Amino acid sequence: MQLSLHQLIPLPLREKVAGRASGVWRGDLVLSEADHVFIKAPSGTGKTTLIHMLYGMRDDYEGMVKWDNLEMKRAGASEIAQLRTKDVSVIFQDMRLFPELTAWENLDIKRRLTNTITEQQVTNWMDELGVADKRQSLARTLSYGEQQRVAIIRALLQPFKWLLMDEPFSHLDHVNIAKAAKLISEVVKQNSAGMILADLDDNNFFPYTQTIVL
Amino acid sequence: MSDKNRNMLLRKLLLRNNGKGRLWAAMIALFVGNTLLLLSVLIWWNFNELLYGKTENDSLGSTFLIIGKKVTNSNMGQRGATLFTPADIDSVNKAPQVQSVGAIVSNHFPVYAMMGGDMGFATDLPLESVPDSFLDSKPADWDWQPGSRDLPIIMSSQFLDLYNYVFAPSQGLPQLSESSVKSLALNVKAGPPDMAETYTAHVVGFSDRIGSVMVPQAFIDYGNQKYGKQGSGVAPSQLILKTKDPSDIKFTEFIQRKNYTTNSQNLRWSRVRAIVEVVASATGVLAILLMAIGTLVFVLFIELTIAKAHQSLTLLKEIGYSPGYLSGFMVKRFVPLVLVVVIFSAGATLVVQYLCADMAKAQGLVLHALPGLPVWAALAVSTGILLVLVVRSISGAIRK
Repeated sequence: MQLSLHQLIPLPLREKVAGRASGVWRGDLVLSEADHVFIKAPSGTGKTTLIHMLYGMRDDYEGMVKWDNLEMKRAGASEIAQLRTKDVSVIFQDMRLFPELTAWENLDIKRRLTNTITEQQVTNWMDELGVADKRQSLARTLSYGEQQRVAIIRALLQPFKWLLMDEPFSHLDHVNIAKAAKLISEVVKQNSAGMILADLDDNNFFPYTQTIVL
Repeated sequence: MSDKNRNMLLRKLLLRNNGKGRLWAAMIALFVGNTLLLLSVLIWWNFNELLYGKTENDSLGSTFLIIGKKVTNSNMGQRGATLFTPADIDSVNKAPQVQSVGAIVSNHFPVYAMMGGDMGFATDLPLESVPDSFLDSKPADWDWQPGSRDLPIIMSSQFLDLYNYVFAPSQGLPQLSESSVKSLALNVKAGPPDMAETYTAHVVGFSDRIGSVMVPQAFIDYGNQKYGKQGSGVAPSQLILKTKDPSDIKFTEFIQRKNYTTNSQNLRWSRVRAIVEVVASATGVLAILLMAIGTLVFVLFIELTIAKAHQSLTLLKEIGYSPGYLSGFMVKRFVPLVLVVVIFSAGATLVVQYLCADMAKAQGLVLHALPGLPVWAALAVSTGILLVLVVRSISGAIRK
């Protein structure tokens, strides 16, 4: 699945974007599944805005975001839902768990959407990232670090061709980052998927094929 | 089953904030509105059935009525002024609501009735005839042909009432039942004294519809032709009308404009009907209003439920749930509630109709025991509209 960006200008950031050189804004960019892209984005350059635009959560921008032939601004609700269950998965910066559901339920409600991952697999991954003991805890009672690990696992509970990550490890220590990055790498590889990771600073969480400055 | 688990989680996320009390209030509001709507249709339908239905509701007054030209000071001296000309009959025939017109023709030759031979009494007997189709019911032996000595008679039941309740008690005479009157024989002498013929007359039936003594039309025609001065071409002094709805204002106006008299019992219905129509339409308007309010309450309840679950809905869409799927989930939750309300409304309507029919029976009226097609049609239409509104409000609110 090819991602193409064409002359993107986020309207709220129009002025900010105007005066700067950027690898994304106001340019053309085509990415393929083989790409593991790191988007380096200093504060206020529109990192989260970009991820949300790619994921179809906002359309207050000029230009075009296209997943293969699907232009996000023109896509219908069901096409976007289809894209989100089959092709593109995301780890939000702000985790976005259901606070009133337990960690397990948060994962289960995503898993049952496609039923492509077994319950056993989920249990294993929770084990791997050290949140198995939080299975029955309500998400709102989890620490940020725990929430982030649950959010990471949730993003992996569907088939995808692209994985979008917005500061995915911001609340994790380097031991946990290593574990999470390892898990993500494995699943991305299984899916033969591309990845886009947006973060503030340089890192080597993954072996990137390109780095773009936002 | 994974679907069950998924729906359980969705219920937890989307319907958890649903107050039980609010749900009940919404359902009751819908029930009241829906039931009132059905009842107002029921009232209208029952009244319609009573007036125009095929069931025989005698006490409501039949749709037959008799008209005559009013005798006034100006026309009372003129011979034939109150007879109906062919042009008159034609205009009555074309009047609103009139289905058919029959001429009431009276005898234009002398008729005497004698009872108990020479010992009894003799009296002039005015006779009338109407076409057979205007009789309440045609007795089996209602037939006369020239040469026949037996003369069947239909008597106004008012005569019998007058005798039984007024005359007999005051004179110390025995009261008579219908069947005993039918068993009596009258000797009837018809025609001028020099060429009179004698008949044996029997009362074969009683009529509520016509207030006089009736004989078969053939007899009157025969007598008028044979003894009468004008032959058979006698103009009728009264007409009997078969009307669809004598209480129709247009018909009443016609009668008044022409200055005709009528047995006004039937026309009194026009006032009753006007009142019932006002009541029925007021109830209808009220019912539609309440139905609208009930529907609004229910729809607002749904929208409130969805608004409360807004965050969860947004996040569900973000993790890949399609708005269509979520709408379907909500529809599956709310449509059964609507159907339950509809079923209860229909049940209430059935009960009311049953009770009405029962009470009407005590009044001598015949109502159907089950609500008729218009009531079910109203139910179907209101349910359809309700379902469309519910589904639209759900998908609209979720798409937002």
